[in-house]
Amino acid sequence: MDTLVEIQDVTKVIKGRTIINSVSFEVKKGEVFGFLGPNGAGKTTTIRMMVGLIGITSGDIKILGSSIKTDFEKAISHIGAIVENPEMYKFLSGYQNLVHYARMSRGVTKEKIEETVELVGLTDRIHDKVRTYSLGMRQRLGLAQCLLHDPKILILDEPTNGLDPAGIREIRDHLRMLARERDMAVIVSSHLLSEMEMMCDRIGIIQNGKLIDVQHISDFVQGEEKIYEIEVDHPEKASSLLKGAQPDIPIQLTGNSVLLPLVRDDIPNLIKNFVQADIKIFAVREVTKTLEERFLEVTEYKEDAGNA
Amino acid sequence: MLRLIQNEWMKIFRRPGTYVMLGLLLIMTTVAGAFIKYQESGGTVPDNSEWKRGLQTQNESYQKQLDEMGEMAPREMKEQYQREIAINEYRIENDISPNQDYSIWGFVTDTSQLIEFAGLFTIIIAGGIVASEFNWGTIKLLLIRPIKRGKILASKYITVVLFGLMLLFILFAYSALLGALLFGMPEEAAPYLNYYNGAVTEQSMAIHLIIYYGLKSITMLMLATMAFMISAVFRNSSLAIGLSLFLMFMGGQVTRLISMKYDWAKYSLFANTDLLQYFEGVPMVQGMTLGFSIMMIFIYFLFFQALAFYVFKKRDVAA
Repeated sequence: MDTLVEIQDVTKVIKGRTIINSVSFEVKKGEVFGFLGPNGAGKTTTIRMMVGLIGITSGDIKILGSSIKTDFEKAISHIGAIVENPEMYKFLSGYQNLVHYARMSRGVTKEKIEETVELVGLTDRIHDKVRTYSLGMRQRLGLAQCLLHDPKILILDEPTNGLDPAGIREIRDHLRMLARERDMAVIVSSHLLSEMEMMCDRIGIIQNGKLIDVQHISDFVQGEEKIYEIEVDHPEKASSLLKGAQPDIPIQLTGNSVLLPLVRDDIPNLIKNFVQADIKIFAVREVTKTLEERFLEVTEYKEDAGNA
Repeated sequence: MLRLIQNEWMKIFRRPGTYVMLGLLLIMTTVAGAFIKYQESGGTVPDNSEWKRGLQTQNESYQKQLDEMGEMAPREMKEQYQREIAINEYRIENDISPNQDYSIWGFVTDTSQLIEFAGLFTIIIAGGIVASEFNWGTIKLLLIRPIKRGKILASKYITVVLFGLMLLFILFAYSALLGALLFGMPEEAAPYLNYYNGAVTEQSMAIHLIIYYGLKSITMLMLATMAFMISAVFRNSSLAIGLSLFLMFMGGQVTRLISMKYDWAKYSLFANTDLLQYFEGVPMVQGMTLGFSIMMIFIYFLFFQALAFYVFKKRDVAA
């Protein structure tokens, strides 16, 4: 069975207000699933429902086939999670915190704790009080806490919130490693797009409590066609040459280059034409749309469609 | 379950505040001991020869007052006097002098007042044990373990009870130890005279004190249960501790005031928690019996627990 998490038509109503409106998606083994949306869109609410912290008004969430509603203990035993900030007992040491959580799951040995500490790289400081930890170290302790019982699914809410670039990179590497080497399903939420781009295989976009899109990250960023930037000595000349061949083509001119949508196979031909017209080519590069641009595109489009 | 209690115990004893509480309890007992010892060295052992006549005069004056006031005498006073008379008569008949040297048992009886403080500390722990998890944000990590919420709450309640029992035990053991050191064991064990249902019986002092402790701690346990309930329902430790302490100090007084005018005061929790009133004193409201009080305590207990568990299990843990 490849699908580890199934969200089935989940709705959450709080005091007459629909916070989450029939959201459905699936997360498979070995993939990092990004949950993307602006603040207040319902990311955290959905994640809280997945770990049983808040009730589900209608619909169901299945973890390896067990419902979080009716079979809570079994379902949750496959999950390791950090919901928002990894709050730990500050008056305990990191190790005592881990012992505390280890006692609450079945069969976590001392060796397992040591191994996990080693994995997140806290060996030196694990016996210090959590009070003295930096945010990055707390985040790592949080990660250790959710890996103790060898879960199949990792759920992290805003895992990189407040971390410096080094910390973000570290978390990212950990997550990719866990998904790839341990075949875990990792679900992360974030409103930071650039980060998701580097971390996730697939992303779901949530807005106003509705899941508006689920796509593979590469498809998502690129859309249907790719844009190439060609650096030349006479952009105007290049532009008129291109327009002559294809009058409808949308060409942008920037300083000393032209930008245009192209299919890969057409590139050699284009270069040949430029060379024959005595246009000097310095570089041809693919312009990747950033996730951010694409994200705004998608959410704005959906919003317009919704309003119309 | 055992491991959950172990966890809660660890969280209590890894905080310095807990040791401050234990320290205060021991210091207060020690200060009381030093004070009584200092006073005792100033006084003399009372003259033993005349005690029988003294008791007789006391009884006569009690009887006279009762006769004079007749029906006018308040019920509480009447019962109090009858009790005194019965015990005094028993002493005269069986030759048991009321003038005992102050010993370990006297000291343990005196320091049993400190049970109130043990109660206070237990309330502080009970009021914080659920609410703090919400304050710290750790409740989110606590509730995503393969353990039902009811079980987590139960482990917390059991921990509170264990903590209370531990304080009581420390208080009892420490004051017995200190009493034995400062005042010595009595030469001959004087029995405690128990007056219940019009009859006087003898009871060993140690057993009496243990029962005394047990009964006194019921108030403490009930208030701790209430603090625990408020803590679980309102997620606010200040409210839980404040309200419970207020009721601990005022509840009895207020109920007594109400009971002078209204009969329904007997349904108040505080009219019933003090079971000692059936053994050593006068019930707060006429017609209350031991069975009634036990039942009331039980009903309140169930109510507190049902409320705490219901709310805790249903709660959406957000923010």
